[in-house]
Amino acid sequence: MNFKHKFVFLFPGLFVLIGILIFPIIFTIRLSFSGWNSYTPEMNFIGITNYIRLFTDDPRFWESFFRLSFLSVTTVILQYIIGFSLALMVWRDIKFKRFFRVMFLIPMMTTPVIMTVIWRTFFHESLGPVNDLLGTFGIGPKWLSDPATAKITVIIVEVWQWTPFMFLLLLAGLLSLPKEPFLAAAIDGASAFRKFVFVTFPLMAPISIGAIIIRLIEASKIMDTVFVLTSGGPGTATETSSFYIYIKGLREFQMGYAATLSFTYLVIMIISLTIIAKVLTKLMIKE
Amino acid sequence: MAKIDLSNISHTYNPNVENPTYALNPFSMTWKNGDRYAILGPSGCGKTTMLNIVSGLVRPSGGKILFDDKDVTDLITESRNIAQVFQFPVIYNTMTVYDNLAFPLKCRDFSKKKIEERVQSVSETLNLSSFLNMPARKLTADQKQLISLGRGLVREDVAAVLMDEPLTVIDPDLKFRLRRSLKEINEQYKTTLVYVTHDQNEAMTFADNIIVMDQGEIVQVGLPKDLFEKPKTTFVGYFIGSPAMNLFSSEVSSNNSIKFNNLEINTRTDLSKIKNKKVKLGIRSEFIKIANEQKDNVVNVKVIRVEDFGNFKLITGKIGDFEIKSKVEREIPISSDNLKLYLPADKCCIYSEDKLIQ
Repeated sequence: MNFKHKFVFLFPGLFVLIGILIFPIIFTIRLSFSGWNSYTPEMNFIGITNYIRLFTDDPRFWESFFRLSFLSVTTVILQYIIGFSLALMVWRDIKFKRFFRVMFLIPMMTTPVIMTVIWRTFFHESLGPVNDLLGTFGIGPKWLSDPATAKITVIIVEVWQWTPFMFLLLLAGLLSLPKEPFLAAAIDGASAFRKFVFVTFPLMAPISIGAIIIRLIEASKIMDTVFVLTSGGPGTATETSSFYIYIKGLREFQMGYAATLSFTYLVIMIISLTIIAKVLTKLMIKE
Repeated sequence: MAKIDLSNISHTYNPNVENPTYALNPFSMTWKNGDRYAILGPSGCGKTTMLNIVSGLVRPSGGKILFDDKDVTDLITESRNIAQVFQFPVIYNTMTVYDNLAFPLKCRDFSKKKIEERVQSVSETLNLSSFLNMPARKLTADQKQLISLGRGLVREDVAAVLMDEPLTVIDPDLKFRLRRSLKEINEQYKTTLVYVTHDQNEAMTFADNIIVMDQGEIVQVGLPKDLFEKPKTTFVGYFIGSPAMNLFSSEVSSNNSIKFNNLEINTRTDLSKIKNKKVKLGIRSEFIKIANEQKDNVVNVKVIRVEDFGNFKLITGKIGDFEIKSKVEREIPISSDNLKLYLPADKCCIYSEDKLIQ
């Protein structure tokens, strides 16, 4: 098409793209080369000082990054397993199918921050109903003040909140599968287990990869749950990258350094998610 | 292998309605052990429903299915010992060709030795021996379809192999080869083969018995020759054969002759008992010959067009308002616009209310 004024029509979209994506990235990169903090709130140029600090003198960031990797991979695997099981359950013709389908989606419809407040109340070590109940068996785990248990608490809340999303994607996938492979497997005399291994799972592989990647991207941004539930504590036991960046940037006002962290984090995430997607595709879809 | 009896089978997809529409009207039929059957009909005529009832994927609303006189109506597919090949090849993508073929036997806990023996034998018949160790997903569409078929054949005790338009995705020249190998397989293993198709050529070349269906009704069962020469209804005449049977609205004029467009045509049909004088004359274009002189059953035709199909010529002509088609040898020169065509009396079929008068 040869049309002189086509850029006029492209401009609104381009403008939005520049405004919300390209400008912030370029601004962040520029900011990461500055020493902007509460003493010198200006866009000066200090070269790669921030990057040297990050790679030589900031174990806390790397710890939070590996913690984040652990938390997101664990939660997403759990979400996948539970979500797939639930989807398989309501995929078949069972009684109250519709009721269950709606029930399983409820957590997704709630506001994460509010639900986390409720979970925090649940897990309150002296006043919460969970320990009240467990107390009758003589146990009272330190849900929020023990470094190991606090991670488990974060995982529980995250899994509860986001399994429905996984469930929804996988159920949609199951419902779109062709009937014939299942009929053929039935005729071949395959048991339920064999049907799952040789028919359902291979057919679901592409949608599974999609669902897992989407959830990994989301899970790597985990912030509100940690913020409300533990504030990264006890100590830094549940501190994740985004929460650490938040502390550096918006609590300590080390804007330049926070920008360095953000940009580094972005690059690492893009690279690692690309690798993960490639590996998953290789493992699950055999072409 | 088994004899399959369909006794008073009927099916509707909305059984709870007061006057349900039937996808399959009640019918009875016996499929003999080791024979080849083709179910032929236009889309939506109930072919697949019938097949699914036999395989157990659909439970019939009425009637019974017997395999070797044993009632299997309530048995699920797994327990029926049926093999089914679908329109699109269904293979297990993650397995090799060998594992695909061995799968039904593995599911039934056969010994390793037995499995190997059966897979070897079937893969040789289907020309899959050289692919046994390849991942099944790497094969072409027709080879995949052979795998689907092979999974049915590895089980020696299978009652029947049901095929639902299995050659749709296959190239024409391969179709021919596959049909031949299906026939050979049938002769070698004596397996009852049931083949659903809407392609008459496929049905004619494949089966000994053709079941023609229309709107949930079985309209004719018979040999390809019967369907061609004596179609029981005008639908069969129209559906089978290319071009379709010539059909002319006519009137009975005597005990063995009819009149259309003021032309008297003699037939070999006894018309004395016909109450409704309005009938239809049906004759295949293959049986109409060019005549040189005026005699009985010769009609004058105005030629509209002559099409050369390579191995024959198709003449389309007009007799009054009626259009008539005749297939003639291509060597015969067609000189004038007016032709004399001879309608042999023994090839004229007379239909009253669209049913053949015997």
